[in-house]
Amino acid sequence: MNFITALINGLSAGGTYAIIALGYTMVYGIAKMLNFAHGDIIMVGGYAMYLTLLAAGHPVLALIAAIVCCVVLGVLVERFAYKPLRGASPLAVLITAIGVSFLLQSVAQIAFGTSPKMLSALKINGFISVGTLKIDYSTLVTLAVTVLVMVGLTVFVKYSKTGRAMVAVSEDRDAALLMGINTNAIIAVTFAIGSALAAVACYLMLTKGSSVTATFGAMPGIKAFTAAVIGGIGSIPGAMLGGILLGVVESISLSIPALAPYTDAVEFAILIVILLVKPAGLLGKMRREKV
Amino acid sequence: MSARLAVFFKNPFWRRYGNYLAVLAVAVVFGALSVSGVATSATQYLLEKIAIAVILAVSLCMVVGFLGELSLGHAGFMCVGAYAGGKIASLLVEALGGNQNSIVVLLLSLLVGGIVAALFGFIIGLPALRLRGDYLAIVTLAFGEIVRSVVMNVPAKLFGGTLGLETPRFNKKYLFIIALIMVIACLAVAQNLMRSKHGRAIVSIKDNEIAARATGIDVTKYKLFVFTVSSFFAGIAGVLYSYSNYRLQSANFDYNYSIEILVMVVLGGMGSINGSMIAAALITFLNVKLQTTLTGNLAVLQNFFYAIILIIIVIYKNAPGLKTFREKYNMNVLLSKLKARLKKQPAPVSADAKEDAENE
Amino acid sequence: MKKIIALVLAVLMVATCAATLSSCKKDSGTIKIGLSGPLTGPAASYGIAVANSAQLAVDEINAAGGLNGIKFELLPTDDAHDASKVATNYAAMEAKGMQVALGCVTSGPCLEFAKLSKDANLFFLTPSASANDVVKENNAYQMCFADGNQGTYAANYVKSLYEANTLGKLGILYKSDDNYSTGLYEQFMATIPTALKDAAVVATFTGDEATVDFTSQVTQLQECTFIFMPIYYTPAAAFMSKAVGKVANSATYYGCDGFDGIDTSVEGFDITAIPQKVSMLSHFNSSATTGKAADYIKAYKAKYPNAPLNQFGASAYDCVYALYYAMKTAIDAGKEITADISATDLCEILKEQFNGGFTYTGSVTGTGTVKWASTGFVEKDAVAYVIKEAN
Repeated sequence: MNFITALINGLSAGGTYAIIALGYTMVYGIAKMLNFAHGDIIMVGGYAMYLTLLAAGHPVLALIAAIVCCVVLGVLVERFAYKPLRGASPLAVLITAIGVSFLLQSVAQIAFGTSPKMLSALKINGFISVGTLKIDYSTLVTLAVTVLVMVGLTVFVKYSKTGRAMVAVSEDRDAALLMGINTNAIIAVTFAIGSALAAVACYLMLTKGSSVTATFGAMPGIKAFTAAVIGGIGSIPGAMLGGILLGVVESISLSIPALAPYTDAVEFAILIVILLVKPAGLLGKMRREKV
Repeated sequence: MSARLAVFFKNPFWRRYGNYLAVLAVAVVFGALSVSGVATSATQYLLEKIAIAVILAVSLCMVVGFLGELSLGHAGFMCVGAYAGGKIASLLVEALGGNQNSIVVLLLSLLVGGIVAALFGFIIGLPALRLRGDYLAIVTLAFGEIVRSVVMNVPAKLFGGTLGLETPRFNKKYLFIIALIMVIACLAVAQNLMRSKHGRAIVSIKDNEIAARATGIDVTKYKLFVFTVSSFFAGIAGVLYSYSNYRLQSANFDYNYSIEILVMVVLGGMGSINGSMIAAALITFLNVKLQTTLTGNLAVLQNFFYAIILIIIVIYKNAPGLKTFREKYNMNVLLSKLKARLKKQPAPVSADAKEDAENE
Repeated sequence: MKKIIALVLAVLMVATCAATLSSCKKDSGTIKIGLSGPLTGPAASYGIAVANSAQLAVDEINAAGGLNGIKFELLPTDDAHDASKVATNYAAMEAKGMQVALGCVTSGPCLEFAKLSKDANLFFLTPSASANDVVKENNAYQMCFADGNQGTYAANYVKSLYEANTLGKLGILYKSDDNYSTGLYEQFMATIPTALKDAAVVATFTGDEATVDFTSQVTQLQECTFIFMPIYYTPAAAFMSKAVGKVANSATYYGCDGFDGIDTSVEGFDITAIPQKVSMLSHFNSSATTGKAADYIKAYKAKYPNAPLNQFGASAYDCVYALYYAMKTAIDAGKEITADISATDLCEILKEQFNGGFTYTGSVTGTGTVKWASTGFVEKDAVAYVIKEAN
């Protein structure tokens, strides 16, 4: 019974990781960069919700405001910090992303101080009982949103013009450019979608009762990055699978007392094992290098 | 006069040994100041930190700059070395009657720390180096986080638990001198390796792995070798770090620390040992200065300024769009203009400046 | 490239040389109190409360004329809860003329500070670094309860409930990568009866305490009727609001001084929405409405309306006043304390005071009087506060 509860809790935590990981993986697939500032976009979304709740007080309004805020921020960061470096070494972009991450965190502390902000208005209380199992409504909401996001994104990528252009850019940027795709615009759109997903993930985290601080996004960010790699970075279903898997492993590890303090180590160990067996992640494509 | 100086410095001797001499000069000058009691403890701490950062940066430069592989777990190898060396040192110091300044113990623990870290480097590198670029990065990151978590949670008797491991603290008057000597040792290994035929093989792997393999270079062997040597020096840096604090805390060795070392290597120009050294020294200096100047209510601005400086430097140095700007306003051109103005002559583009432009 | 290298190295060397030579400057006229704490990073709430409260006390003392005319000055530095930054801070404060210190805010860094101050023979009274080893040397004193002692108090209380058969099922929630939490937890487990220990349910968490999602931990502890939580208020609040409806309403949450601030310092958390009883054994209560504590809270809120308020701050406020009264007592006893007294001389004077039964009365923490054992541990009364009764 404990195991089943741990599994369900894990699905919920994993759903959040999956949504963040989608942002990582899409940006990686298209811009070929590890966006270390992605976690901090989540944090900014949290503060956007905080401010909206202070001013207007409605959860749905807060979610919309956070999405708008994150999208604008994501696109701005892309425009001013990453775009100038297009064509430069990927490491230079990585370092800039880290710089942006530090910058967002310190600005947040300057603007909002250090006290954690618990957004009770967003919290979804209550649970349903199935036998002796107690499943939180927030868990159900998370799972529903995760599935929705995954289906929506898959449909978007497969059937919309922009989505197919995104696939083209991720396959071969130069060829896509030659085919008349505006790669800069596609990259900006990717950042916008990734940031919007970050806002959604932030909302889901807050429905479970987390508090917003300046370092709110750091750990979920790195966990989601791990999830994206487990699933095969660049792959949308891979990010989903990786996220869920990581959440379940985390939850099960936490439920075993002897293992609980080592949970972080267990999660990263799983990553290493998976990569050793499948070097490109679970669903990643192994590309043969051409000479 | 200046022309003569210029000829003097053109001598290949400088190109080969200039950086050793620079480090040695710092060690001698500040060593003398320190032993005679003129240098403040702030300077001693700063030099300790700089020396440790330089060792870390040069050793990571071997992996990132020469081998062309991205490692985000350098702090993990440092952590392994620090705890192995620190544990040995604290046991030996206790057994030998509490003299924290025994040079024999220091050297022994440096050796142990280095070897244990190298061993871990070998074990991790063996499977991980088969992975492609960013996957290797995440595996090394994961390794660092695992080490950190395990060291903290094993019974406190072993590694001190959450409060950290109590380790000997070497006399601050002398520790930075020893650390600078280790910098020279690290330089010697890195530089001589890169100037040998093995070094050329390693660079060829970075430039084109498939072509390198085709010419009969044992790619795996070289990769593993560089990774192990790099981990060895990360371990050395770790032991020095443990000797520069009274207590080791595994929380310090998180991925942010690995990233800080990576920043040094990238800002140093990736493939350049001297560049890594300078970047390591400057970034450490900048961090310490920010920490000691922005205190109290201003402390929150430390990361703010660090981040701004980082972003501006990276964009300035790397943005393809700023190439003409860089060529017009780089330091050499400005200097030669200045010289020309002093001499009231039209500015010649010196051979050095040309070479620099090519390098960049 | 060579030229750039040479130039940069030269600049660096000149700069360090300048640092070497210029740092001996010392402006006199004030007694300088050093402090190193996390003013940035995840633990910043605690460091900022300490820095603000110490500054408040310093300002009050100076406004009232100082120590027989000598003013105090606080030197707050940031260590971001990282022990390896402490030496640099220490050197910087030393260069500015630090004569006495509040040590560090958190335990890990404070252990480093303790060694450095021992070498220099500098007296320090830490507001909140609670590891037992912090006060191992004779120049170090604590204003907060040591972790070992707090763990024992809590265990004794739980033991008394157990023996009276009113405890029910015991659960424990602690943070396994935090030394305050593990220190209390280990001592607690070592003190409670073995039968109780074996039956207890233990849940842990790690990482950034504000972001932890307590779903798993609530599931583990939901059958418990008495939950001991040696953790800080932010995660405690998150756990409690997560556990509404799952943990029985008749259950009790029991914490130590880390709990303080749960009803005042977590923005958006409404403790009245928690049905369970919340109580703590602490030396301070942030929602106090009477006595010295209330005066301090009022003054603090007037000066820092948006800053965090918690027992860390109250303790720091007490530290500055305790140092002030100790110096005053020493002067009355014929010792000479001037504004440019050396750290060593001041250390000897203060050691004599704190070792010789100096009592600080009028404290904000505890019940008004504070004394110190020669071990450096504080001797004051912990009060069992019921923050909220069960609904």
